[in-house]
Amino acid sequence: MRRRAPYAAALLLAGALAAGCGSAVGGTDATDESGDAVRVVATTPVVADFVRNVGGDRVTVTQILKPGVDPHDYEPSPVDVKALADADLVIESGVGLEAWLDDTVQAAGYSGEVVDSSKGINVRQGEGEEAEAGGDPHVWHDPRNAKGMVAGIAAALGGQDPADKATYDRNAMAYSAKLDALDAANQAKIHSIPPGQRKLVTNHDAFGYYCDRYGITFVGSVIPSFDSSAELSGRELSDLVARIRSTGVKAVFSEASLPAKTAETVAQQAGVEVVSGEDALFADGLGPEGSPGATYLQAEQHNTDTIVRALGGRV
Amino acid sequence: MDGSEPALRFDHASLAYGRVRVVEEVDGVVRPGESVALIGPNGAGKSTLLRAVLGLVAVVGGRIEVLGRTPARARRDVAYIPQADTLDAEFPVTAGQVVLMGRYREVGWLRRPGARDRGIAAEALDAVGLADRAGDRFGTLSGGQRQRVLLARAIAQRPRLLLLDEPFNGVDAVSQDALLAALAKLRADGAAVVVSTHDLALAHLACDEVCLLNRHQVAFGPTEDILTPELLRAAYGGQALITDGAVVAH
Amino acid sequence: MSLLVEPFASPFMARALAVALLLGVVGGVVSVFVVLRRLAFVSDTLTHTVFPGVVVGFLVAGTNGIVWGALAFAVLSVVLLTVLSTHARITEDASLAILLTGFFSVGVILVSRRPSYTADLTAFLFGRILTVDMRQIVVTAILGAVALLTLAALRKELVFRAFDPAGAAARGYPVVALDLALNLVVALVVVAAVRAVGTVLVIALLVVPGAAARLLSDRLAAIVVLAAAIGALGGWLGLAASYQASIEHGLRLASGATVVLALVALYGVAAAVGTVRSSARRRGRVTP
Repeated sequence: MRRRAPYAAALLLAGALAAGCGSAVGGTDATDESGDAVRVVATTPVVADFVRNVGGDRVTVTQILKPGVDPHDYEPSPVDVKALADADLVIESGVGLEAWLDDTVQAAGYSGEVVDSSKGINVRQGEGEEAEAGGDPHVWHDPRNAKGMVAGIAAALGGQDPADKATYDRNAMAYSAKLDALDAANQAKIHSIPPGQRKLVTNHDAFGYYCDRYGITFVGSVIPSFDSSAELSGRELSDLVARIRSTGVKAVFSEASLPAKTAETVAQQAGVEVVSGEDALFADGLGPEGSPGATYLQAEQHNTDTIVRALGGRV
Repeated sequence: MDGSEPALRFDHASLAYGRVRVVEEVDGVVRPGESVALIGPNGAGKSTLLRAVLGLVAVVGGRIEVLGRTPARARRDVAYIPQADTLDAEFPVTAGQVVLMGRYREVGWLRRPGARDRGIAAEALDAVGLADRAGDRFGTLSGGQRQRVLLARAIAQRPRLLLLDEPFNGVDAVSQDALLAALAKLRADGAAVVVSTHDLALAHLACDEVCLLNRHQVAFGPTEDILTPELLRAAYGGQALITDGAVVAH
Repeated sequence: MSLLVEPFASPFMARALAVALLLGVVGGVVSVFVVLRRLAFVSDTLTHTVFPGVVVGFLVAGTNGIVWGALAFAVLSVVLLTVLSTHARITEDASLAILLTGFFSVGVILVSRRPSYTADLTAFLFGRILTVDMRQIVVTAILGAVALLTLAALRKELVFRAFDPAGAAARGYPVVALDLALNLVVALVVVAAVRAVGTVLVIALLVVPGAAARLLSDRLAAIVVLAAAIGALGGWLGLAASYQASIEHGLRLASGATVVLALVALYGVAAAVGTVRSSARRRGRVTP
């Protein structure tokens, strides 16, 4: 009797394996006919936003990470894997932010290029915790880096679809001008903060590039790592509270995609304001449609305005 | 190696679990074709003694000889019949499959029972009068019928010594008769039988000898000589009742 | 019907299905013994004690090291478990609970040292069935084959021991060795399943199919075949459901978990059928 079951199973298995060993799907030819839109899969909301701005109606963008989802530890669902299988081009943020992407790309059978939009950008290593060996992935908070990402995306799209290269380059230039305007506005606003108050405490270490660009001192973060999930020790927390008190920081900032609990506790212990809820910063991605952070430009402006107001400047 | 060699010999045997002695100084002989009743109050060591005959309990004083060998070496030819109600009544086996289990050791590891084994098992089930229930789930049989099936399993083993652990507990009259008939046939064929029981009437009926046990051996000898009020009282610690000439024990 | 077939046109879903079917059949057959021997808690303990092995294997050799680490800890825990249950003076329940929580905590501590701690943890606990590759399928198949072959070779002794441990000991069967062998088979299933469904969900594969099959038949041979079928069917239905939810409705339903829910649903069906069977029997009608 026991004999029958293994045979049946073997038959089923053989059938499934035959389907699985079939030729890989996805990663189509290098050039696309000028009639069809390029199917791009973008990982993060920020990258997706850039691709939409550069690509316009020449691209169809599938964004894997929805707003508010933590990019550091994402588990792909069937629809994500399928999108990757059917993609013409896959664009990621890079610097190890999407650790889960490699396995998923392989499983999907996508054989094309995975474009690293952070390529060529100077990556900061950050202090303290060892974290990812690759460094801090939150490069986009410095608008100059954002320009680099946009340029990289335009080049990739141009390479995939040479017929529309001129369009992509034109869109990229227009958007870069907006990034320049954002940069100038940020500088002016932050300049209005009294010099002694230009100190930042955030939920996790996501604003390194922003602080470097605008001359803000990064006092520390509630989660002392680039990754949002490291375990906190009591010692680290009390060290942070001590530093907040000693440097005279005025506020602790929580983030849109992380729970505010710990940030609130730290702020309370240190006797300073906590900025959370509606005003939370967009650190790892963007907000949903209708929120103040639905696009990159909006999110970055929101971040700056919130920080500047809380630290005593004028927006 | 003729028929006069004892099937079972206790030579001042004492048993222990670890360092605790639980049964002392059992001494006596069971010859082929004979049956011995093992009688004593609960906790007297009857089950322990049976397990020692199987080589599962340490003999720390004296010796136990089974079929001329040590208990462990004799296991092939010794059959143990547990109480049927210790087994899971929901288990998905048929009566026939339970009896076939008696052939497994003979069949050996990695092999399947053959036609000959199935034939022996069928005969064994017939010997206890349950051939028509072979395909029924073990748990659907009555307590007495289950006990008979377990005896059939032992018969399928073709043993020279049978050890029965309180086989008549809660067994109906029909099953009791079937069990006694099967045991009688086994004895006629030369097997020796040891039955642990509380039932003195059955001991009188079916057993040649009695071993009275209460952590030590009180007596070992022919049934009529041993089942006397004085000896019973000695074994049961003064809790034996005598009514109407028949002895009833706690 | 196409709802059940269409998802598996994509190669990654086909691979997930292959693993699910394999684990369903192997887990199903093993689960019959788990249910007969009442080893559900022991099996649950094994899923927890294998976990630190998964982490150690991953730390040493990445994703491909998981199976080896798990295997090493599986053997270790089976030996410990069998020794404990033979010699322990405290109840078996308590010693199992101590093993379970102790080992599991070691695993959590080890994984929490890594920055990517929650992602790794969820992968180990709940599996990543959508990203299994051919190599992992082969490893799963080999481990599953070893488990099934062991059961096939020892089946009459295992059944005898399960039914009548005293009788088996009396016949001179090495009951402790037989128990060790069965525990090892269970551990092998846990190791085989860890990449696909994770250590927490594999317990469903090790218990539900056997329990459901038992409700449907009283004959051991039929129960084994039914359990294998139910295990496989649960994998198939669960994956199809997860796919349809994701593609058609934009609903994220973790694939390992949908397999478990499918198994539980099948158990519910079996329970209903079982009730009909037994009431029909009670009314005196003959059921085959």
